[in-house]
Amino acid sequence: MNILVVEDEPKVGKALSEGLKANGYEVTLAQTGEDGFFIANSHSFDLIVLDVMLPGRNGIEVLKTLRRQGLQVPVLLLTAKDAVEDRVLGLDAGADDYLVKPFAFPELGARIRALLRRGKTESVLSLKLGTLEMDLTTRSVTRDGKNIELTLREFELLEFLVRNKGRVVSREMLARDIWKETSRATPLDNVIDVHIARLRRKVDDEFEPKLVRTVRGVGFMLSEDER
Amino acid sequence: MRSFRTTLRTRLTLLYVFLLCIVLLGYAGCTSIFLWQSLVRELDLSLDRDLETVENLIAVTQDGHIRVDTGDQEGVLLLEIWSHEGTLLYQSEQLKGQLLGSPVMKDDPSHPANRSLRLASNMRVRVITRPHGLGNQFTVVRLGVSENVLRDEFAQMVSALALGLPAALFLVGITGYFLARRALQPLDSMARRARQISAEHLNERLVIENPDDELGHLGGAFNQTLSRLEHSFEQLQRFTADASHELRTPLTAMRSVGEVALQDGGDTRYHHDVIGSMLEEVYRLTRLVDSLLILSRADSGHFPLQRSAVPLLDLATESAVLLEVLAEEKKQSLEVVGDQTVTVNGDQLILRQSLVAIIHNAVKYSPTQGSIRVRVGSENGDALVEIHDNGPGIPPEHRAKVFERFYRVDKARTREEGGAGLGLSIAEWGVKAHGGRIELECGHEPGCTFRIRLPKSFG
Repeated sequence: MNILVVEDEPKVGKALSEGLKANGYEVTLAQTGEDGFFIANSHSFDLIVLDVMLPGRNGIEVLKTLRRQGLQVPVLLLTAKDAVEDRVLGLDAGADDYLVKPFAFPELGARIRALLRRGKTESVLSLKLGTLEMDLTTRSVTRDGKNIELTLREFELLEFLVRNKGRVVSREMLARDIWKETSRATPLDNVIDVHIARLRRKVDDEFEPKLVRTVRGVGFMLSEDER
Repeated sequence: MRSFRTTLRTRLTLLYVFLLCIVLLGYAGCTSIFLWQSLVRELDLSLDRDLETVENLIAVTQDGHIRVDTGDQEGVLLLEIWSHEGTLLYQSEQLKGQLLGSPVMKDDPSHPANRSLRLASNMRVRVITRPHGLGNQFTVVRLGVSENVLRDEFAQMVSALALGLPAALFLVGITGYFLARRALQPLDSMARRARQISAEHLNERLVIENPDDELGHLGGAFNQTLSRLEHSFEQLQRFTADASHELRTPLTAMRSVGEVALQDGGDTRYHHDVIGSMLEEVYRLTRLVDSLLILSRADSGHFPLQRSAVPLLDLATESAVLLEVLAEEKKQSLEVVGDQTVTVNGDQLILRQSLVAIIHNAVKYSPTQGSIRVRVGSENGDALVEIHDNGPGIPPEHRAKVFERFYRVDKARTREEGGAGLGLSIAEWGVKAHGGRIELECGHEPGCTFRIRLPKSFG
């Protein structure tokens, strides 16, 4: 998978490119809008991560021109502006998704996976992690064959964590995808923490190994191997 | 600014002088007319008496000539005697052939008894005309007298008035100028004082001598403006100080944790821990900046509301459900009751944000096993959402300030527990953006009620 990252801030660009490489992607980094435009035109990519605020030629202009030329590659916009108008502007210009800085890296990873997966329908009826099994049709959960009673929200939370097993999930991702909360100022952190604590009680308390892990400063992760 | 033309003082004086000038001119004009009329009346009376005297002196000689015997009387006699058919029968020598007006006949209606005219010698005279029986024939007698004395007298009077007028105006102007200065002096000193009150001395006020006069009103209004200015200035200063404190705390933590980690070396596990700790602070900073951005956008007034009909009970239930787990953890009861039909035309997300912030606040500050009650209703055309808790309440001195940014009733609360203190500010802004307000009511019973009041048909 080839990803083009257009980002002018060197530190952010380096972090993005290293982080994505660590996730197994091939990454090309462009530091100006012009460079990004030419590289996007001359090579073939599976996805473009495009910063909006770029020197010379801003991301929205680059995107518009690329789309006018018929480029179909999914584009993820990065921006420091989160006003509704800015979002609309970006999506109107042809962006497929939109991420507001500062963002959590796991969230960027999740969005990129979602964009790359798009169009491919998946028909998973059950999820599994170790001895934990989730039946998505009957909404039942078992571990070591024992039935675990979960509320609807806890089920959604667990499903999200299992789908992202082995990867860190940030509170922002949970707030947006499970609680459907659009504003980052809504105080959901405590709510999420309480739900995680309950989930942990039900899923982990009586079983080994512990699956739900807290990654300090980043979020939560479901994983079999203890580190 | 302070040129001669434009100072208030000069303009007042000029206006004063101008008005006085008009009044005085009117007065002088009326006086002159009155004086002229009374002089003329006096002259007519004396002419009348003269005519009577002269009539006694008219005699007809044997040969039918008319003779007027003036005797040894000196003076000018301007006399004509006309026959009733309009022939001149007699004319005194002093007239030197000039007529006292057109020929006259008896009972001529176009001929007034008294009139003024100018002789061919340019002399102005006043003439009285009267029928006179002379022997057995009717004659008309005309007697004239010079108006010179009268005109001289009138001219003297008028010139006295004309000389007096500028003098009076001059005096009035000078006095007015000084009076105006006296009257405007408080204004001057107010302006001087106001100039001295700068940002550093906003606590100073203008001295008001008499609060009931116009200057007192002006000074009072100015002082009120100063008070408001001082208040918002203080708020701004406190906000800046609080904001930098809140920003500095996580920055300091990150910095010291990072620096110590670099010094110590340590194993991978330790480094993970350090990075995690730094990321926690970054997360906190991100949240803070998000909140500050919302508030600054709210302050700029540029926050378009996405309006729709919002059923308040549903919104309140949704917000409560969101926070239910927090209440459960503290074994608190959280119930939502009220009128299903209450709707407002508003921005669902922003209203929800406000509700969530206030309910969150109630959950956070109510004790374990407390109860929180959310009630939706309406009153006088306003939609109401009341959030009542039975917590420890808010001390009176804090009530007015709980909506201020970064304000925490309990300063000792940690950031973990209390947040940055922006939640209620954002809540209040959200309600105000809908033309509503939040009332805080803490009675004798334990706990407080936050009452959100929203106009139903706002916008």
